[in-house]
Amino acid sequence: MANRPDLLPGTLDMLILKTLTRAPLHGYGIAQSIKRLSEDVLTVEEGSLYPALQRLLLQNWVKAEWKMTDTNRRARFYTLTAAGRKRLGIEVSEFEQMIAAIGRVLSDAQEA
Amino acid sequence: MTLLNKVMLLFRRKRFDSELDEEMAFHRAQAEKGFAAAGMTPEEARYAAMRQFGNGARMKERSREVIGFRAETVAQDIRYALRQLLGSPAFTVVILLTLALAIGANTAIFSVINGVLLKRLPYEQPERLVRVFLSNSDYPKFPLNPFDFLDFRARSHSFESMAAFNRGDVQLSGTGEPVRLFGFGITSGYFHVLGLHPQLGREFDRAAEIPGNGLQVIISDRLWRTRFGADQGIVGRKITLNMQPFTVIGVMPAGTVHPGNVYHSLPYGESVDVWWPFSFAGDPNRRGSHFIEGIARLKDNVPLAQAKSEMNAIMSQLGREHPNNDTGWGVLVIPLYDEVVGQSRRMLLVLLGAVMIVLLIACANAANLLLARASSRQREIAVRLAMGAPRSRVVRQLMTESLLISFLGGGLGLATAFSGVKALVALLPSDFPRAQDIHVSAPVLAFTLLVTVATGLLFGLAPAFQAASADPKDGLQKGGRTTTWTGGQSRVRDALVVTEVSLACVLLIGAGLMLRSFLNQLRLDPGFQRVQVLTANLSLPHASYAKEEQVERFYDQLAENLNQLPGVESAGVGSDLPFTGYDENAGGFTIEGKKPPAGQDFHARYHMATPGYFSALGIPLVSGRFFTEGDRQGAAQTVIINRVMAEKYWPGENVIGKRMSFEDAPKSDKDWITVVGVVGDVKDQPNSPGAQNAFWLPVLQAAWTSDMSVVIRARSDPRLLADALRNEVHRLDPTLAVADVQAMDQIVDSSVSTPRFAFALVGLFAGLAIVLAGIGTYGVISYSVSQRTPELGIRMALGAVRSDVMGLVLGHAAKLAGLGTAIGVLAALGFARLLKTLIFEVSTADPVTFATVAGMVIAVALLAGYIPALRATATDPVNALRAE
Repeated sequence: MANRPDLLPGTLDMLILKTLTRAPLHGYGIAQSIKRLSEDVLTVEEGSLYPALQRLLLQNWVKAEWKMTDTNRRARFYTLTAAGRKRLGIEVSEFEQMIAAIGRVLSDAQEA
Repeated sequence: MTLLNKVMLLFRRKRFDSELDEEMAFHRAQAEKGFAAAGMTPEEARYAAMRQFGNGARMKERSREVIGFRAETVAQDIRYALRQLLGSPAFTVVILLTLALAIGANTAIFSVINGVLLKRLPYEQPERLVRVFLSNSDYPKFPLNPFDFLDFRARSHSFESMAAFNRGDVQLSGTGEPVRLFGFGITSGYFHVLGLHPQLGREFDRAAEIPGNGLQVIISDRLWRTRFGADQGIVGRKITLNMQPFTVIGVMPAGTVHPGNVYHSLPYGESVDVWWPFSFAGDPNRRGSHFIEGIARLKDNVPLAQAKSEMNAIMSQLGREHPNNDTGWGVLVIPLYDEVVGQSRRMLLVLLGAVMIVLLIACANAANLLLARASSRQREIAVRLAMGAPRSRVVRQLMTESLLISFLGGGLGLATAFSGVKALVALLPSDFPRAQDIHVSAPVLAFTLLVTVATGLLFGLAPAFQAASADPKDGLQKGGRTTTWTGGQSRVRDALVVTEVSLACVLLIGAGLMLRSFLNQLRLDPGFQRVQVLTANLSLPHASYAKEEQVERFYDQLAENLNQLPGVESAGVGSDLPFTGYDENAGGFTIEGKKPPAGQDFHARYHMATPGYFSALGIPLVSGRFFTEGDRQGAAQTVIINRVMAEKYWPGENVIGKRMSFEDAPKSDKDWITVVGVVGDVKDQPNSPGAQNAFWLPVLQAAWTSDMSVVIRARSDPRLLADALRNEVHRLDPTLAVADVQAMDQIVDSSVSTPRFAFALVGLFAGLAIVLAGIGTYGVISYSVSQRTPELGIRMALGAVRSDVMGLVLGHAAKLAGLGTAIGVLAALGFARLLKTLIFEVSTADPVTFATVAGMVIAVALLAGYIPALRATATDPVNALRAE
């Protein structure tokens, strides 16, 4: 576990919210989805995922309900709320500003 | 929103947990399925899923932290700490008792400090109030002459207002049984200076200061309620004081506190019931007698020093105007606060220091106990660290434990303090200022809280960091049983014991010095005989005893009757008693053929006595004779002086037959008073540096007051004569009250009540300190013995005998005690200087005290080391080696 690249700090919440824009998912589904979409680069540790979900629940950015899965097992599904969608917009734009800024610094360093 | 959600979750904690469990189980199952689909065997898939999921308990805890409050983890820590404490009851009891005693003692002493030193005096802007005295080399703090006061009041500009007051008790009669009341004569504006206002009526105006206008009175709230039924119409009514009708012009509210005074002193407190107008009678150019005391309120913008220099300038002006009486005096302007508590401040601070030392020792002891326990808990802590607990969490847990201990100790201490404060107040000397202000109040509780927290942090920090900085690997490898005592730890523990021993040493030396000083005061020859003497005070109301001859006749007859009583060795009457505070002073008298020293006048304590007074008190005759029945009105005037006065004013001369006079220019023989006797010296107080000049006039020639003290020397227990004394007084006048009947022994005892109080407390704290230091030493030595069991076993197996082992262990104890004592003695040499004003005729470096204490401390430490040493010698080498 130790040699996987860490998520950028503060990005986990954003990734979870983004994942939930397509459809409600359970925790395992969220982790798998992030892993697949990032082509195995980003791995969400369960030890971080569930505390993060609790955090989002507390802020009312997601809501949770128990539903049956395709295989007929009970699982907790998380759904994005309107507030969560708004929050996602803010986080994405902040993140893009940050990436652009880092990019500018890096390209300048290469030219020099 | 977040908070609301958290609060709602509070009530669904169980469900939250079970949902989280289910969610995790589901997650693991899904992962397992995923791995299986990727081609793993079911077994491999399960393990892979578990591995990937990691520490489930830790994850749950983190999820819970997200939804939880900080207080919840604190509560968790406290529950855990409580379990730990209940698990080792012996440890818990020792540490809690230690802390309870130390914190309780601190709280109790701080209650006294708060009540006496910190609370503001109950007057308006009390910090601007000052007392005004005269001062010269012989009398550093002297009352004022009334006419000097009038000039001070008229000429000074530094004060917003100024007043004077003078003790004068009165007898109230007319309604119910006659009672003696504490009273003061006051000038106009006295209450205005203090910033107090009558609840009914008004205070005296200037007109009341004129002689003849004096039959007015202001009474206390207490007197108004108890004797006059809180009559709203009391103002304007007449009441009978000293058999004369006084008109009530005002009633002071409850809480009117007497600021204390030095002449016929009545201590600070709500003790005065009657105030009457002081009137300025007599010749304004005769200013030799000093008996009123000044109090004033500084103007807002005037500093103390400026007021002082203005007053001194006025005094030198007066010296030029009245060269016979007013030369050689300076004016003393003292803040009222200093005057009220100044005498007690040093002692209280010393007590606070002593009790703080006890607290430090208790802290060191607690730290030692915790360190010992931390060593045995090394394994537990190592396991927690290995399981992924962050170090900060472990430190927090250990600090929670320490704080829990200190809070439990503090709580018990507070309970002790409530009864302790009551005991302390009961123990206080009767004249101790502001004793009624001593309570366990809000500031005291705040202090206790502060001390408690500080204590917990102080004794908890070292063990907590030591435990948390431990390497979990070490702890786990070594296992729980034979954790070795690392060098660093043992150094910390040894240092703590050395600290304890040295602090205890400082305290014991302080107590020792105070004990020596106290014994010195007890052993001191007071100049009179204290045993088998009964005393009482009498006051003859002016209305029935207006003429001097009436007073003289009464006391002459009383003394004679008392001398006839069976069981009476001798009896006499005098104007005052030794050790009850000096009373009258005479200044500016004339001595035949002598000139007073430049810039000074002749002065002496001024007393009266009947023939039997000196022999009843056992004051020895040095030369000449005592008074006789012949020294009465009409015969030549006589005086008896003390040895100090004889040597000061007639050095090297035979003083019998020499003459003095109260006239500035004595004309005839009638104006002269002849010295007929010299008596031994009696000091004002047992700890006064020396006796003052004093003389006695015969009661039968000069009864200038009707307030007298009766002295009876009994053949056996003097208390048996109390009823006979009352009978004799009432046979002469049934309306008189016989006040303050007590044995001279009691008076002498109460004169040393302050040093006794200070010594008792410091002694108590020192005792506590040495016991704690002993426990601390015992703890460290016995711990070291238990840790060194294998080593001792090897030594014995290799041929060491019991005495070698004993020597080894005792050597360790002796090393700690020796070092602690050395440091303690050095520190005490420095600190003892603070005691200088508190101890009497003992050097602050008294070798006897220092040597005794040093020996005692080392003995206690060796005793504390002896028990574990005995255990060490009983070690069976075989068992000791097997234990490894």
